[in-house]
Amino acid sequence: MAFNPKHILTRLYLVSGTMFLFAGLVLFKLVSIQMVQGDKYKELALERTEKMFTIPPNRGNLYSDDGSLLATSVSKYSIRFDAVTVKDEDFKKLVGPLSKELGRLLNKPASHFEQLLRKAKAQKNRYALIARNLDYSEYMSVKGFPLFNLGPYRGGLIVDQKTVREHPLGKIAERSVGYERFDENGYATRVGLEGAFGEYLRGKEGKRLKQKIAKGQWKPIGLDNIIEPQDGYDVISTIDINIQDIAHHGLLKQLEKYKADHGCVIVMETHTGEIKAISNLGRTEEGKYYERLNYAVGESHEPGSTFKLMSLVAALEDQVVDTNTVIDTEKGRWRLYDRVVRDSKHGGYGEITVSEAFEVSSNTAFAKMIHNGYKNDPQAFVNRLRQMGLHEELGLPIKGEGRPVIRNPGDKGWSGISLAWMSHGYEVSLTPLQILAFYNAIANDGQLLRPRLIKEVKEWNSTIQKFEKEVINPMICSEETVRKVQQLLKNVVEKEHGTGHRLYTSDFSMAGKTGTAQKNYVGKDPDKLKYISTFAGYFPADDPKYSCIVIIHEPDKSVGYYGADVSGPVFKSIAQKIYANNPMVDEVADLDPFNEALEDAYESYFEEVQKDLQTIPDLKGMSGMDAVSILENLGLQVEVRGNGKVKKQSVSQGTRLNQVTKIILELS
Amino acid sequence: MKIFSHIQGDKVIWAVVALLALFSFLPVYSASSNLVYVVGNGTTMGHLVKHGLLLFLGFGIIYGVHKIPAHYFKGLSIIAMPVVLALLVYTLAQGTTIGGANASRWIRLPLVGITFQTSTLASVVLMVYIARYLSKIKEKEITFKESILPLWSPVFLIVMLILPANFSTAAILFFMVLVLCFLGGYPVKYLTGVVGIGLLGLLLFVLVAKAAPDLFPNRVDTWMNRLESFWDPADTEADYQIEKAKIAIASGGLVGNGAGKSVMKNFLPQSSSDFIYAIIVEEYGLIGGFSLMFVYMLLLFRIVVVANANTSVFGKLLVVGVGLPIVFQALINMAVAVELFPVTGQTLPLISSGGTSIWMTCLAIGIVLSASRKNEQAEEQKEIDENNPLEVLSGQL
Repeated sequence: MAFNPKHILTRLYLVSGTMFLFAGLVLFKLVSIQMVQGDKYKELALERTEKMFTIPPNRGNLYSDDGSLLATSVSKYSIRFDAVTVKDEDFKKLVGPLSKELGRLLNKPASHFEQLLRKAKAQKNRYALIARNLDYSEYMSVKGFPLFNLGPYRGGLIVDQKTVREHPLGKIAERSVGYERFDENGYATRVGLEGAFGEYLRGKEGKRLKQKIAKGQWKPIGLDNIIEPQDGYDVISTIDINIQDIAHHGLLKQLEKYKADHGCVIVMETHTGEIKAISNLGRTEEGKYYERLNYAVGESHEPGSTFKLMSLVAALEDQVVDTNTVIDTEKGRWRLYDRVVRDSKHGGYGEITVSEAFEVSSNTAFAKMIHNGYKNDPQAFVNRLRQMGLHEELGLPIKGEGRPVIRNPGDKGWSGISLAWMSHGYEVSLTPLQILAFYNAIANDGQLLRPRLIKEVKEWNSTIQKFEKEVINPMICSEETVRKVQQLLKNVVEKEHGTGHRLYTSDFSMAGKTGTAQKNYVGKDPDKLKYISTFAGYFPADDPKYSCIVIIHEPDKSVGYYGADVSGPVFKSIAQKIYANNPMVDEVADLDPFNEALEDAYESYFEEVQKDLQTIPDLKGMSGMDAVSILENLGLQVEVRGNGKVKKQSVSQGTRLNQVTKIILELS
Repeated sequence: MKIFSHIQGDKVIWAVVALLALFSFLPVYSASSNLVYVVGNGTTMGHLVKHGLLLFLGFGIIYGVHKIPAHYFKGLSIIAMPVVLALLVYTLAQGTTIGGANASRWIRLPLVGITFQTSTLASVVLMVYIARYLSKIKEKEITFKESILPLWSPVFLIVMLILPANFSTAAILFFMVLVLCFLGGYPVKYLTGVVGIGLLGLLLFVLVAKAAPDLFPNRVDTWMNRLESFWDPADTEADYQIEKAKIAIASGGLVGNGAGKSVMKNFLPQSSSDFIYAIIVEEYGLIGGFSLMFVYMLLLFRIVVVANANTSVFGKLLVVGVGLPIVFQALINMAVAVELFPVTGQTLPLISSGGTSIWMTCLAIGIVLSASRKNEQAEEQKEIDENNPLEVLSGQL
């Protein structure tokens, strides 16, 4: 083929030239990726490989006033099984032992788990649920079980950790302890103390920049977090778990007895405004009672006769009446325009003083007293009530406080009968806590306090913030009026004609007011008519420590509905138990005079016992009983002759103990 | 310098190879961290030591081979041909699979337990064999028919044996054979015919594989996917790799992130072999990428120079036949990383931790150096050494 080596070279230049060109193209593409597409890919690099992670802070604990835990965060673990990643031979060999261990830990038959695991394997389930809500120690033992101890890749163990809020007290005060939840959009639902003090408990999220590495793992970049997470503070609430417990169970018992719809109890410390217990129980369809809604704070309703205290205070302040003013109860029926005010006692009470009217809770007497007293200037009555702050919310940190209603004359709903109806607690609306705050102000000699649920905010042992008592109104009425109504409240229980006399006991004193308000009365349908039974008051009557309100809605009328019958017993049981927990100091004269000889004998015995004896002590003059006890404690055998004090000892003082085994004492 | 008195041949090629070998430790070590973490084999230090050992033995091969007189390779290629064919058949027959597709590229060497990619050895042997054939017929006017048995039958046999498991190697080998034939003065009109036959054969293979996928194990589906993803703008698995490679290149900048600081190595499954160029650019920047290319171009330049200087036709063709594929493979590897070429499994010669493929590259380098040594010493040897029994053997064929 007439071949010339020169041709090889020419062609080689051609080929290698092409390759140089190709190399140039590669380099050109390299530069163009950097220059032209560079920004896009650099951005992609960040997007694909770097991510800011939030580090959730630990939520603070919620404590009761004595440091018992009301709510705390704990880790819970769900165990799942990846049946695909496990090798067949491992599975076959270890499924038996694993099922056995699981069965033992979770109190289920081993066959249950074996079936579950085999099914997962057969269905190639990569996320089969084994157990839920295990605590840390259970999780640790599951991790060590056969098969699972081979790790996530060979053993197929998948663990999901979540932090849950635990309430060591269970259902008690569940609603008041509350919760704080965030939905996926970041909107919060805040309930109870958890919600109210969320800003303290929550803490601050930290931030950490991480870089993606293989296997879907993220590697932290840099030494430190971008933002350090800050754990939430601990909140110490005013709740006293003992009182809370008493209130809860007292209320529960009464609700069950009266098959009532719902009820609430609040106990407040008179001089500080601290809420010691707050219990809300509502009936479910099955007739069980749970903490469902925060009635105590949220439910504003017509208070009924408990409002007579407010009417009376207003009337006394304005000097419309005095406690000894006599009012005719008109045989228990007093017509005003087209409506009739009735007393609960048929035929009325005859002519009674204002005091008696309060004690027997006469509606007609109060209606006449307020209507006649203020009919020329209704605004004066309303102004007096408003002056005492009854139209204002208490301004609680807990969300959802019910709005009180105290109408002004001329407002929508105001009519000629308004004064008369307001006098005994209709056409006004208050929440249980608002009523209690007023009663507490009377107990506290006129000083209106804001109810408080928080005592202190702490970070470990150091106090971040302390909360002192908050005075809303230093004096809601004159001292004289306070004295008068305090006496009347006491009479309600103490006087035989008082509506609360059934609660009377000679063991301790209480003061308070019953209330039996009607509900659903508009239709005049007796079947629909329901009652709200209330007892509000404080104890001890003379030196109040706690004030308390019990409200029970819609008790079964066939069982009873009077405030004194339905709510009163709860109040009494709370008072009784608090008394039992706070024993009164009774000073009793010392019946045993100080005996110097006895004291000396004891001292000398005590001295001997305290010594680390190496030798036999001098026992002469010591009482026989003491001497024997000392010697026997030294490990010696003792023989005693006679009675009384030691006269002689068979082994003399100062003999080394290890030379003696037995000693004889002669007593006289 | 005593050491340098022992080594002969083109000093620049020696230098280039040594430079590449030294540099290769860096990307191999960087990539090993991911290998250890993800695949969980060995330790990072283990990978480094293994690479060092492979390179050390590789240099032993270069040294040994470059001492062999170049014309010996004529006879050696004839002796090696049946051995290589037997190895290829054995490799294909053992049927290793990757994800259900045939990927039998390696055989395990008995005793030492090292896997060995037979196709790379076959390529070198075939190229030497063709160089010998072309130099033999340089004076003759040959017909296509005459060349079928001595030239095209071994070529097609070897290419067909490599094809089922490794399309890209087969294609590159076939292409290099065509280039060598072109350089060796084989009539171009015949070459076009051969290309036609080759394409026809490939089409036939694909059709049979598609029609009866179970007849024999093959990777036709993988090739199709890779080709489709190269042309198709939609996202595919190969696109994922390419995107990661481009991210790596883009984040490298001018000077790179620094040795071992690659982020994308965690996401590129073949960061230590197929996509090593992208990782090198990420860690050493455009400067590193350009330098590496420069070194390969220097190698190409020296191969041309050596071929130029060699006086014998066989010598020239030998140097070009075994030398060009090294540079060509390097270019293909880099072209894949910058998305000029569909994803293939070609390693970056002397840089990738490709195991025994390093040795075959070393074998080729050794042959080139041997050819260069010959003209350096200016030994005007005769074309045919009558005393060489191998030469007699080759003369019969």
